[in-house]
Amino acid sequence: MEKTLTDDQKKEIIHKNGGRKENILAILLDLQSASPDGYVDLQTAALVAGELDITESRVYEIASYYAMLQIRPQARYVLEVCNSSPCRFSKSEAVVHILEQELDIGVGQSTSDGLFALRFTPCVGACDSGPVIKIGDAVYGNLDEKKIRSIIAGLRAGHTLFRKGENHDR
Amino acid sequence: MIDNLLLKRIGKMTDPASIEEYTAMGGFEALRKAVVMNKMDILSEVDAAMLLGRGGAAYPMGRKWRHLYENPRYPRYIVCNADEGEPGTFKDKVLLSQDPLSVIEGMVVAGYLFGAEAGFIYIRGEYRNIQNVFQQALDNAVKHGYLGKHILGIEGFAYTITIVSGAGAYVCGENSALLNSIEGVTGRPRVKPPHLADVGLFKQPTLVNNVESFANVPLILNMGGEAFRALGTEKGGGTKLICLSGHIKNRGVYEAPLGTPLDDILYNEAYGGGISTGRPLGFIHFGGQSGPIGFPEQMEGLNYSYEGMRDRSLAIGSGALVVMDNSVSIVEYLESVIAFFVHESCGKCTPCRLGTTRLHELIGRFCKGCAGQEDLSRLENMLTHITNLSACGLGQSVSVSVRSAIRHRRCEFEALIG
Repeated sequence: MEKTLTDDQKKEIIHKNGGRKENILAILLDLQSASPDGYVDLQTAALVAGELDITESRVYEIASYYAMLQIRPQARYVLEVCNSSPCRFSKSEAVVHILEQELDIGVGQSTSDGLFALRFTPCVGACDSGPVIKIGDAVYGNLDEKKIRSIIAGLRAGHTLFRKGENHDR
Repeated sequence: MIDNLLLKRIGKMTDPASIEEYTAMGGFEALRKAVVMNKMDILSEVDAAMLLGRGGAAYPMGRKWRHLYENPRYPRYIVCNADEGEPGTFKDKVLLSQDPLSVIEGMVVAGYLFGAEAGFIYIRGEYRNIQNVFQQALDNAVKHGYLGKHILGIEGFAYTITIVSGAGAYVCGENSALLNSIEGVTGRPRVKPPHLADVGLFKQPTLVNNVESFANVPLILNMGGEAFRALGTEKGGGTKLICLSGHIKNRGVYEAPLGTPLDDILYNEAYGGGISTGRPLGFIHFGGQSGPIGFPEQMEGLNYSYEGMRDRSLAIGSGALVVMDNSVSIVEYLESVIAFFVHESCGKCTPCRLGTTRLHELIGRFCKGCAGQEDLSRLENMLTHITNLSACGLGQSVSVSVRSAIRHRRCEFEALIG
């Protein structure tokens, strides 16, 4: 589990690519994925505002507008099931069903241990391997019951099944 | 069938970001050609190519380029729209991840032509992994003198490209929203006019083209505008990347010359290879969620070209073909389409924000079988309101799929009236 970043570490992320206002989305996404709870907290937002010389309310507006940015603590693994039409009519409902059963939660809920959350996402651009789920930056496609259960089991066992820069849609 | 042109390097490079491999397969020849051409001749070639914008709006690239060229203000900016978010569309992903230098070459040619010093590529947040590959390609291009100062050793030819990441907002694929997002303000659309070629990024003249459009620029210059046009049809030149998904056997991205018979695309083993479920075709959703739906009786003998599609009230759009067999209820399908728009409406203008929600409720009534006699006309009125009153292309195109379905399958809606 990641530790909370120090202000200096956060500043390093902010200035990694020049610290320009144009990079605010990449900066917020990087900060979010490095945070232990997977969201942009108030303190971090204030720091970003100061470093990029924009107002905190502007940072809040941006963080609350974009679907990939979160302003509340998230589960360790957020399982996002694509429900856009190519996936939805390629049996994504069955995927939801299996996940609900396996995790004993509904869509929009988190497990009580804070390990998993389940929600829908619009198209992630992997329609040739639908139905798909997205976990962090990784997309898992061509799902069937066996594959879904092994992904969950792997995550439960603490396997870092998903690594950055890698796709699992084949 | 012809050999792939736009996809010719896909899967053939061991490192898609390698300059050596790219140039060994014809890369940067177009740029070398462009820098010794008269700029008016470059514009004429682009005009002759009859390339219609590949992002989905099909705006003639030649017209867009001339518009910007004639604006005397500097600085000018070049922006590549890589916010590929139309459900059923995943073709830009292939170019960005497997042949990024072709996109970069197209953008550098534009930079040269328009005397721009800065280019931006806005890549959707869901493609974070691809951003790394693209950055590698940019870094390599700088190292080899295809970006940066004195490009190709030419005094005064300086141009950089910067990646800007999206973070999950479909509406940022709308060009003015995309520019707002690059400026670091919330990605909501602007009211147009003014045209972005006049008042674009940081209020300066700006060219915004799609990934596939930019990747076509080297092809146009290498083969000549007229030869490029001749790959396609009279009204639209070139080949088109198509994305097959849904109930089709060979799901994936293919390159098809414009004018290819739709039946080839669906049933030829080299493309779709037929319906995957063994059932008859039900309908095809063309060009993304904002595109029209085509039904079998409407598509007999259809050629996949801009004019061929338009003559049947269909459209190519982004190149998506979401194929559904006849087990899928069109009304249920539309419920998922409208749910998408409810999620993605940015909320700036009321007709779209509330209209999409009302539309979703109305279609839900049909799905649940509790629609009343008056609900179909209410639905049609709501479609008119959203289309005519919404500020941007998102709201204006919400109605396209529903209207095309009502036109051809009115009976299916009527059958659900309780």
